Amino acid sequence: MSTHDKGRRAFLINTAAGVGAATTALLPETQAQAQAPAAAAQPQSMSMAMPMPHAPAGLQGAGQRAFFNEENAATVAAFSERIMPGAPGKPGANDVDVVNYIDLALSGPYKDFREFYRTGLNQLEAYCQGAYKKSFTDLTDAQKDEVIGALESGKATGFEWPRAQQFFATLRTHTIEGMFADPVYGGNKDFAGWRLVGFPGAQETFTPADLQSSGPYTRTQIMGMQSTGRRTAP
Amino acid sequence: MSALKTDVVIVGVGAAGGILAAELAASGLKVIGLERGPRLKTADFMSHDELRYFQRQDTRPDTKTQPVTWRPNKDARSVRMDGLNYGNQAGGGTVHYGGISWRFHEDDFRVRSSTTERYGAAAIPQDSAVADWPLSYADLAPFYDRVENDLGVSGKAGNIMGRKIDGGNVFEAPRSGEFPNPALVMTHSDTLFADGTRKLGYHPFPTARAILSQPYKDRPGCTYCGFCQTFGCHVGAKSSILVTKLPEADKTGNFKLITGAMVYRVDTDDKRATGVSYYGADGSENSIEADIVIVTPYIYDATRLLLLSKTDKFPNGLANSSGLVGKGLMAQPGARAFAVFDDQFTNLYMGPSNQKHTIDDFNADNFDHAGLGFIRGAQISVSCAALDAGPIGVATNMTPPPGTPSWGAAYRDFLSQYYARYVAVTSQVEQLPYHDQTIDLDPNIRDAWGLPAPRLTYDWRRPDELKRVAFMQNKVQEIGRAMGASKVWVGGTGNGSPGGHPSGGTRMGNNPTDSVVNKYGQTWDLPNLFVVGSSTYPTISSYNTTTTIQALAFMTADALVNKYKKSPGQLL
Repeated sequence: MSTHDKGRRAFLINTAAGVGAATTALLPETQAQAQAPAAAAQPQSMSMAMPMPHAPAGLQGAGQRAFFNEENAATVAAFSERIMPGAPGKPGANDVDVVNYIDLALSGPYKDFREFYRTGLNQLEAYCQGAYKKSFTDLTDAQKDEVIGALESGKATGFEWPRAQQFFATLRTHTIEGMFADPVYGGNKDFAGWRLVGFPGAQETFTPADLQSSGPYTRTQIMGMQSTGRRTAP
Repeated sequence: MSALKTDVVIVGVGAAGGILAAELAASGLKVIGLERGPRLKTADFMSHDELRYFQRQDTRPDTKTQPVTWRPNKDARSVRMDGLNYGNQAGGGTVHYGGISWRFHEDDFRVRSSTTERYGAAAIPQDSAVADWPLSYADLAPFYDRVENDLGVSGKAGNIMGRKIDGGNVFEAPRSGEFPNPALVMTHSDTLFADGTRKLGYHPFPTARAILSQPYKDRPGCTYCGFCQTFGCHVGAKSSILVTKLPEADKTGNFKLITGAMVYRVDTDDKRATGVSYYGADGSENSIEADIVIVTPYIYDATRLLLLSKTDKFPNGLANSSGLVGKGLMAQPGARAFAVFDDQFTNLYMGPSNQKHTIDDFNADNFDHAGLGFIRGAQISVSCAALDAGPIGVATNMTPPPGTPSWGAAYRDFLSQYYARYVAVTSQVEQLPYHDQTIDLDPNIRDAWGLPAPRLTYDWRRPDELKRVAFMQNKVQEIGRAMGASKVWVGGTGNGSPGGHPSGGTRMGNNPTDSVVNKYGQTWDLPNLFVVGSSTYPTISSYNTTTTIQALAFMTADALVNKYKKSPGQLL
């Protein structure tokens, strides 16, 4: 990871942490007001050459993550890829960097989920070792799907907290978030998640002709918050 | 510790509080508004960010610091609810709502009488607390006019002084004139719904919204960006309290807003409310003395505040001589169908999201219930799968059709194929009031201020409700098919926890033994303590609540200015 990447990563981690502190409501008025100038300034700094918040290709699983260790990252990447698998012309979780999204979320806004992931991943490893004598990442796709199915139905044994269904539901939700949240959060790389489903993103306006059309929307490019330079601080 | 003195203190500056603040301050009264959250402005809503606003619920209460708990019955253990759909800042829910603007039907105000007249008293479930409101539609009509004209609502009239108008809601109560703004632009999904329901003999119309279809009062029209419900409006076209009544209140010079203020007690002597006490944003304990105290937060907090304010004189909480504070919690269960199209797109992410075109043919008492085994009905609309129509909303809220899993390659292909080619046909179903459905204080779970969380004891799945929901499940599927969908399937109805627009807890009535407040929201027990909001509804209707909350707020403001100010005391 280059120095530039590290700097960018630190920026993103801090941004992510700010996002989920989430208690705007609890901020004293003075503090809320103090944030306003920062909010106004942010679009410029974002649009100045902020590269997309994605690790370079090949980095995945190579450490240097905000929260996950290499093994956790590999397991979460493998799990989310089975939730939303990639295929030719159909980007999946790994193509859009879902694990990067989850890693950044756990480093800040979802820090309350850290223990959930640690314990859940340990339980998953124990379950896979018990049932297959292998780690989740070493299973075939069909076996991974069996495991996920057993979590979803609650039939997987050995899950106390988080329960199997809770663990499945949370990983599914976080995978969906990483697929479809704006790319500034570290997933949905190159808008691939939005392309998959045909969502044009943060458009400013739709015309009466757009609204009344029964065809696919193609009038403008997909827009993200970074491309519009319009992002306010949470 | 600081102590301020004022004429009026308002707890919660949202849909009702914002109107009361502006109207009372304009009359010359000194008004202080206390708001738990911040005061945001249009420029704060530039981010079209589904993760932040829809999914992580910014602008709504943080369930960690401000928990609300639920249990299906009194023998079950309460659990924290994981999503709360009400506002948490100045402007309250009007900041993030979809702007749906209904006037209740005439019979929504007299469910007991109208049901008895048409079907006999036995049609009303014995265990329900169905009651007429202490006011009629005609009493409230001038204040509905105020809401629509002051704030800026867009729609198409269907009944002007008894003259039915095709294309509007022919079932609506009579109105004095057209809406101040024409209806918003129809989308393709609206057209499909209108054509399909007309084919079935029903009467589709564009849902009225507090969203400007054209420039109005120095605010611009809607851009149809689609980041609408769960989002603040980035151009100020949504007629929220933030861009309508708060600026008016500011201009009077008589209004002061204190944000970050958590009110934990209404102070009383033996006969009157004397003011309120609150935790400031810095954790300080503060008091305000006031001649009039108006409680207007979300319904959970209205009940909680009355219960938290108990004294030796009022050991069961304030305004609770009837024993009804916290009782009669109601909400609207949903019955819905999903419909997908192989030959066309619906692109629901464009324009204001939910409850687009509507039919009212199966709402209220607009249809004959003889032999159906239930009373009342539902408003039926074409909608998206979640509160918003972005891909996170759809992927977390749209049940795939039977046989399609919710993950894996088949699910990916389902989303990919139909994200932009589906509609939800949703019915928002009226629920009757029952006194064993309650809001009280959770003995085990506290909020970030150390106050007990509001606890809901509630399960809508009663015989009358189940029959009504099953009836609507058939209707929404019938409509999906009539729209020409390739495939139609029914969505789940949930676990019994509250659905749309929870209301009740401080019901209004004609006398102190069977209600908490009178029609002005004035508590029977303490004449200078008022509660205004949907907590006062004796019955809920199937409609979204905000417009009626706001009409009631205008009516209370009018009574305070024109009656109470001259002669403080019981208005009735």
